Amino acid sequence: MAVKRDSYIMPTRGVGVRRGMTIRTRRDMFTFLLFVAPNFILLGVFVFWPILYSLILSFFKWNMIAPKKTFIGFQNYQSLFSDPVFWQVTRNTLVLALATVVVKLSISLVLALEMNTDIRGKSFYRAIIFSPTFTTSVAVAMVWSWIFDPHFGLLKVFISPLGLRAPDWLWETEYSLPAVIIVLIWSGIGYDMVLFLAGLKNIPREIYDAALVDGVSPWQNFIYITFPLLSPTTFFLTITSFIGALKAFDIIAIMTDGGPLNSSNVFVYYLYQNAFQWFKTGFASALALILFILIMAITLVQNRLSRRWVHY
Amino acid sequence: MKKRSMVWVLLLAALLLSTSTLWAAAEVEQAPTGPVKIVYWRSLTGVAGDVQEELVAQFNASQDKVIVESQFQGAYAEILQKLLAALAAGEVPDVVLLDSPFVPLFAKDGALFALDNLVKNDKTAFNLKDYIPGLLADGYYDGKLYALPVMRSTPLLYVNGDMLAEAGLPRKAPATWDEFRAISKAVTKYNAAGEMIQVGAGFTLGLTTAHWYFQGAVYAYGGQISDEKFGMHLSEAPAIAAATLWQDMVFKDKTAIPSNSHDDFLNKKVAMVFGSTGSMGNLLSRATFQVIPAFIPGQVQNLVPVGGAVLAMTSNDKWRQQAAWDFMKFMTNAESNAKIVIKTGYMPVTTSAANHPDLVAYFKANPERAVAIDQLKYTRPQASVISLGKGTEILRQMVEKLLIANMDPATVMKETDAALLKEYNESYK
Amino acid sequence: MEGLLHRKNFTWYIGRFFTHAILILASIIIGLPFLWMITTSIKSPAEVSMFPPIWWPETVRWDNFSKAWSLAPFGRFYLNSAITAGTGVILEVMVAALSAYAFARIRFKYSGIFFMVMLAAMMIPSQVALIPNYVVLKHLGWINTYKGIVIPHVSSVFGAFLLRQYFLTVPGALYDAAEMDGLGHFRTMLYIALPLARPVLGTLVLYLFISKWNSYLWPLIVTNTQNMRTLPVGLAMVRSAEYAIGPEHLMAASLFVLVPVLFIYFIAQKQLIEGIAAGAVKG
Repeated sequence: MAVKRDSYIMPTRGVGVRRGMTIRTRRDMFTFLLFVAPNFILLGVFVFWPILYSLILSFFKWNMIAPKKTFIGFQNYQSLFSDPVFWQVTRNTLVLALATVVVKLSISLVLALEMNTDIRGKSFYRAIIFSPTFTTSVAVAMVWSWIFDPHFGLLKVFISPLGLRAPDWLWETEYSLPAVIIVLIWSGIGYDMVLFLAGLKNIPREIYDAALVDGVSPWQNFIYITFPLLSPTTFFLTITSFIGALKAFDIIAIMTDGGPLNSSNVFVYYLYQNAFQWFKTGFASALALILFILIMAITLVQNRLSRRWVHY
Repeated sequence: MKKRSMVWVLLLAALLLSTSTLWAAAEVEQAPTGPVKIVYWRSLTGVAGDVQEELVAQFNASQDKVIVESQFQGAYAEILQKLLAALAAGEVPDVVLLDSPFVPLFAKDGALFALDNLVKNDKTAFNLKDYIPGLLADGYYDGKLYALPVMRSTPLLYVNGDMLAEAGLPRKAPATWDEFRAISKAVTKYNAAGEMIQVGAGFTLGLTTAHWYFQGAVYAYGGQISDEKFGMHLSEAPAIAAATLWQDMVFKDKTAIPSNSHDDFLNKKVAMVFGSTGSMGNLLSRATFQVIPAFIPGQVQNLVPVGGAVLAMTSNDKWRQQAAWDFMKFMTNAESNAKIVIKTGYMPVTTSAANHPDLVAYFKANPERAVAIDQLKYTRPQASVISLGKGTEILRQMVEKLLIANMDPATVMKETDAALLKEYNESYK
Repeated sequence: MEGLLHRKNFTWYIGRFFTHAILILASIIIGLPFLWMITTSIKSPAEVSMFPPIWWPETVRWDNFSKAWSLAPFGRFYLNSAITAGTGVILEVMVAALSAYAFARIRFKYSGIFFMVMLAAMMIPSQVALIPNYVVLKHLGWINTYKGIVIPHVSSVFGAFLLRQYFLTVPGALYDAAEMDGLGHFRTMLYIALPLARPVLGTLVLYLFISKWNSYLWPLIVTNTQNMRTLPVGLAMVRSAEYAIGPEHLMAASLFVLVPVLFIYFIAQKQLIEGIAAGAVKG
């Protein structure tokens, strides 16, 4: 797991005993600042400053080429909220995030449960299923574009025999977003499965042994023991997958260009189009800020909820 | 003792700095003395890309004053974005292969260098009057010349002759859009399950060219998309007629499909497809059937929007400007131009190129290619809205609304007019 | 669960069968796209446009690879990717180790505040910073340079956090001994702390390298000439060229990008997966 809550506590040795500024503490302070300087300068310039600068830019009209920026107040936000494409993009992004999270987590939980037995060949299965995690997304999008090909694609091999019509996945408004979701699920299952598996390993064996004595069925086992005890992992994965899906870009940029008719356009791609294709810098900055607020809100909600809902 | 750790950190900092010199060493590739080195940004791949590389190499070998470095920048749409980005960063190339409608966009902001003085002071045999006026026309902005035509193309219709013959039709391209529709009906085949085997036509989708062929259809019906003063004309009868025809063929007749690549044509899924004159070389060499290149169908008239690229100068240094000018002249001279025409199917841009013995002989031997020249008479520049930042995107959405979402043409056209006007007011004015 | 019974009755075999069936199905679904990519890359154009498709071409067309290689300067792309990913990893690990060591071992009254600020940075998505970073780079004159590709992404929150945790587990006595030997902080970090953190450092390096190698959006924005493009950007550019390029060439070109990553993955697969499972690496 990335960062466990309890490890947010302060570094133990840093917060020292209160003494006068001896030569040593002063020297330590100096060394400390020197050591953290590279990181904090970089974070300041490339992570924190951008938030402030986005806020500033979002009040201007600027095409990034012209030397002059024009102050226009809240006009970018006004045109953003009255822009039907913005709302379509927001809806697409949320649908994409929700669908990806639900399907991906369900499948990977099932796989993790199957892997949590003492069957043979586990490390083989794990190596295969995990492999998309580190696979270059641009290349993944290339293969899948070809798999989705309406005439010669691999997917048609499985759809045609069922007597169903093979859609032109990337060029039909109802199918383009599902196509993107399929690819994101395919690439994400392995990672989630490995984390679920780690979560399952953390559940003490004795609990199951006790349940076995009480004659509990496997299904009851899952509902009353496994699932509740797995909730920290589930919760962590839900939040990180959701935030990850809000940032989707690569697959969409390669497979669909956000189309057709913006049916697969999402937040970050629309931001990219506005900023770097149409040079509407202010408008795109407003978009960026909204994305930032959305992700901050989810993170804060996570902090709140994890205290109440999750069983440790 | 503790001072030593500081020394180490400083050393580390020095190391960081030195890596950046290493980087710089890998990045810098030019020598300040000797011949003038200029950068040429090109677009296009396949034979059209190869011929540019060949000409650059030939130019570099032919003299020792100028060295041209050619850099591929992706499709036209990408070269534009990259140029905007480069202008923003202040690091521009010297010569760019620019999609023709974009000359005004860059010229109005002073990004292009006007060529008039170079033309006037030119002591060589260079003659501006040699260029075909219809092709030189969109190199001008505000009375000044900013670009020379180089790889100019017109939209063409490519027809699978074998497929027409199979359907009992003569191996002849349709002359009007009505004929186009009738031929499509005749060649379309579905299997018993209702799955498409082959249809008459594929309408091109996508950001780069979808609008171009649609413009061709609107011109044929006697209309236009927008005029030089940015008056929008999509809601008028000719544009709506063209839009309705395309849409009906896809959804009512089911004899055409929206198509995103020439693969559908090469794989015999569609009998007719649009393409640039520049695609001719590629299509003729890859197809396993008879390809008939033809005019875009007419209706009330034969008229097509000229596309393709011009050479513009973005150089901001006097010496490099002169070098860039020499290179531009070389790329468009009769010899080079004849080579481009033969290799790719683009149109000759000068009278002397059209009369070049190689070219005359070539058209005699390959009469099907002459269509590009014949269509020269029926050309006019593209719609002004193409040069708006979001212009091609708005037109891409229009084509998708018509051919994918099946929305009412009159409504779509009205919306598109409004969107284009809004974009003009926001970003161009 | 079943394993506890140690009795291999009929139900046990049925259960086994289903478990394997599910996992094999999952492996096939995950593996098929890779296989499809490989077989497509060695087919002829005619074999590519066949339905139903064939799984193995009549003659293997190795020349698809040389054709794909010639579509763009892939050699240069390799060099650019290696340089940017390589220096990026080195710098990021250095930055991370310095911060981590400071947080773990150097006394400073306000280090807690610094620590919180650093963690807060983790919540800020890098996509929000695209435009401002571009503008900053423009002012620095770093657009279309290696610096521009690398530097904005070498600050480190996760790596610093991870290494700090590891440094804290090193017994204090070792540090005291180092101090008595007259080692300064920097050399203690270099000679004591980092070598002890080798296992976690290895995973971190691999993970950072792969994610930098794969990154697309930032290099796409910040490079604008062919000679500066990294592999993923170059690959995407090949696809968008105006003329139709056969799927066989696109798949071959995609393999150029994938092979190094897959190679690293299959060599260090166990370490990477277990690193993730043990909470070593954030995805």
